[in-house]
Amino acid sequence: MAFPMAAPAALAAARLARAALADLWQALAASHRMAAPVACDGVFRFQETADLAAVRLDYNTTILPAKKFFYPPVETIFRFHRHRGALAPDEEACEARRPLALFGLHGCDVRALELLDQVYTGEFSDPAYARARAETFIVALSCLEPGPSCFCTSFRSGPFPESGFDLLLTDLGGHYLVEAGSARGAGLLQQLGAEPADSEDQLLKTHRLREAVARFRRHIPTEGLPRLLNQAFQHPVWQALKDQCLSCGTCTVVCPTCYCFNVWDKVNLDLETGERKMAWDSCQLLDFGQVALGQNFRRDRAARIKQRIYHKLNYFREQYGKFGCVGCGRCVEACVKHIDPVTIVAALKGV
Amino acid sequence: MRILLQPELVEITEVRQETRDTFTMRFRFPSPSLAAAFGFQPGQFNMLTVFGVGEAPISLSSCPRQQEYFEHTIRTVGNVTRAISRLQPGGRLGLRGPYGRGWPMEEIKGHDILVVAGGIGLAPLRGAIGCILAEPENYGRLEILYGARSPEDQIFTYEYAGWRAHPRVALRLSVDRAPGIHPGAGEDAAARTGAAAAGTDPPDAGRRFDRVGPVTTLFPDVELEPANTAVLMCGPEVMMRFAVAQLLERGFRAEQIYVSLERRMECGLGKCGHCLIGPVYVCKDGPVFSYAEIRDLPEEVF
Ligand SMILES: Cc1cc2nc3c(=O)[nH]c(=O)nc-3n(C[C@H](O)[C@H](O)[C@H](O)COP(=O)(O)OP(=O)(O)OC[C@H]3O[C@@H](n4cnc5c(N)ncnc54)[C@H](O)[C@@H]3O)c2cc1C
Ligand code: SF4
Ligand code: SF4
Ligand code: FES
Repeated sequence: MAFPMAAPAALAAARLARAALADLWQALAASHRMAAPVACDGVFRFQETADLAAVRLDYNTTILPAKKFFYPPVETIFRFHRHRGALAPDEEACEARRPLALFGLHGCDVRALELLDQVYTGEFSDPAYARARAETFIVALSCLEPGPSCFCTSFRSGPFPESGFDLLLTDLGGHYLVEAGSARGAGLLQQLGAEPADSEDQLLKTHRLREAVARFRRHIPTEGLPRLLNQAFQHPVWQALKDQCLSCGTCTVVCPTCYCFNVWDKVNLDLETGERKMAWDSCQLLDFGQVALGQNFRRDRAARIKQRIYHKLNYFREQYGKFGCVGCGRCVEACVKHIDPVTIVAALKGV
Repeated sequence: MRILLQPELVEITEVRQETRDTFTMRFRFPSPSLAAAFGFQPGQFNMLTVFGVGEAPISLSSCPRQQEYFEHTIRTVGNVTRAISRLQPGGRLGLRGPYGRGWPMEEIKGHDILVVAGGIGLAPLRGAIGCILAEPENYGRLEILYGARSPEDQIFTYEYAGWRAHPRVALRLSVDRAPGIHPGAGEDAAARTGAAAAGTDPPDAGRRFDRVGPVTTLFPDVELEPANTAVLMCGPEVMMRFAVAQLLERGFRAEQIYVSLERRMECGLGKCGHCLIGPVYVCKDGPVFSYAEIRDLPEEVF
């Protein structure tokens, strides 16, 4: 399943005066919970907000990616009674909520959601995730200024997204170019009555894209990457990394395409009732591969570091057809030891 | 994910103690509709829940042809398995499944079958043996090699006589150690004492053994030829490593050897990532793999 549905080619692109951005916001807010990048303690985060004035479209990457809206860090799977088993989900949890609109997602984060779709739908599709994704309206934003750790151009997930959005905003200076990526995006444009864009706007966008791409200083060369990695499993780089990495798992928490989780039971004080919980987990943690009697399939820290890098750059592609890294740079920014996929690949290449 | 991780309640109808730390539980569904919906292949597994303790992946150990009930054979090693071991007939467990890809019962039709099992590893193979014996015309000869730590650790001993009774079945047993016998002691002596030991243990005519040592010490006795034989194997990973290596040496091809792998599993559905070996999800792509499928994975299996 593709989210959202691809738009027929005829569907529109429009020019939106800067002041008219509020109209777009209002039109969406009428029927959606709005979530957008806002500044908070000197960093940016995606959060629900009713106020366009608080939204920072000049943001660089947020701390946590947008996956948290579809797949929360901790979730109750069900409540149980020790003898009666799983109880029906609470009414409260089932209460219909207004759909979400994500406003101002960069290309890396849009691609990351498309990749998570591969994991959570497809075989054993998760209906709750699929529903949330299908009903979420995505207003993507072309990224003009890469952050210091970004390398999305390597995977063509950015700086300007090409798919996975309902509407795409590109700041052309005096006004925005708004392009529809879905039928409902086109419908909204129609509703706004915005002036159609012309070829000059498209030219300007292309120009902006070229400028943005030229600002990137960091790349992972993807050509021949699978082969390079396949031959580098015993490379000394991994042993060197082993001495740096703290196995803290921060890199996977902030990664927009990491999807692993853990499941456990929490018993209430009455010792009769409780909840089964799930929470984000990390392959970087020692007990991730641990089974009974102390056996552990990834006891060696080097093996755990390799698991992350290989999953992002090799295995995910074998599993789902695309690279599992979107080049958002979050793991690099978050790592106290500055462990960095870009420099790792460079080292493996011997440059 | 929530709906995919919801267990159903099943009722325990019978418990059999297999060994000191291993037991077999028989289950039935509380409603006929659930029972009808539950079909499985030998080698598949369920996620079993004790509410308040947790969940564990456990293989189905009965034969799917038996439709009134199904069974699990469980070794008590930790929290969930211990909590399950405390339950009695009439008690209830949470269950979701069946999951995974079981033994390739269709592909191996027309072949001789060599079963190699160690310890609790015989549990997922009992159903496969049952299926083969239920339609012997579809399979060739069957040789079962089973290694346990000691005679007291053998499971399914009540099945052995029935298996042996089939004209085209050979069952060969090894134990890592037996009272009064040292590995490497004269083979005949081992066999004799093995039989004698069984004799002194009358309630369980099954508890005997042919050799002392790891299950691979039974390999010289194997009569099946590599050319037309499929191998079904499950046991501790060290055992499988040695067994696979020796079979390859004997002329078996990696494609003929099927192994069932254990990994940590939190979902069983290819979502939680815990069971990954390289790009392979052991839970849904396996747990049964031909050795050819896993031999060249970047994270070495064995
Ligand atoms: C496909 C498959 C089939 C199996 N079939 C059988 C079978 O038929 N019979 C049988 O007896 N066994 C079987 N097993 C093994 C069985 O699943 C384990 O023995 C069982 O999970 C042990 O659970 P426990 O809670 O009793 O042990 P514990 O040691 O209490 O817990 C083990 C499990 O808890 C979790 N865990 C361990 N350490 C930690 C930690 N530090 N932090 C967080 N979590 C941790 C992991 O999920 C680990 O697997 C099978 C395993 C697999 C994968
Ligand atoms: S691996 Fe790092 S750069 Fe790549 S998507 Fe994950 S957080 Fe972003
Ligand atoms: S295995 Fe590691 S790198 Fe791969 S998705 Fe899970 S946590 Fe992320
Ligand atoms: S057990 Fe969760 S992915 Fe395999």
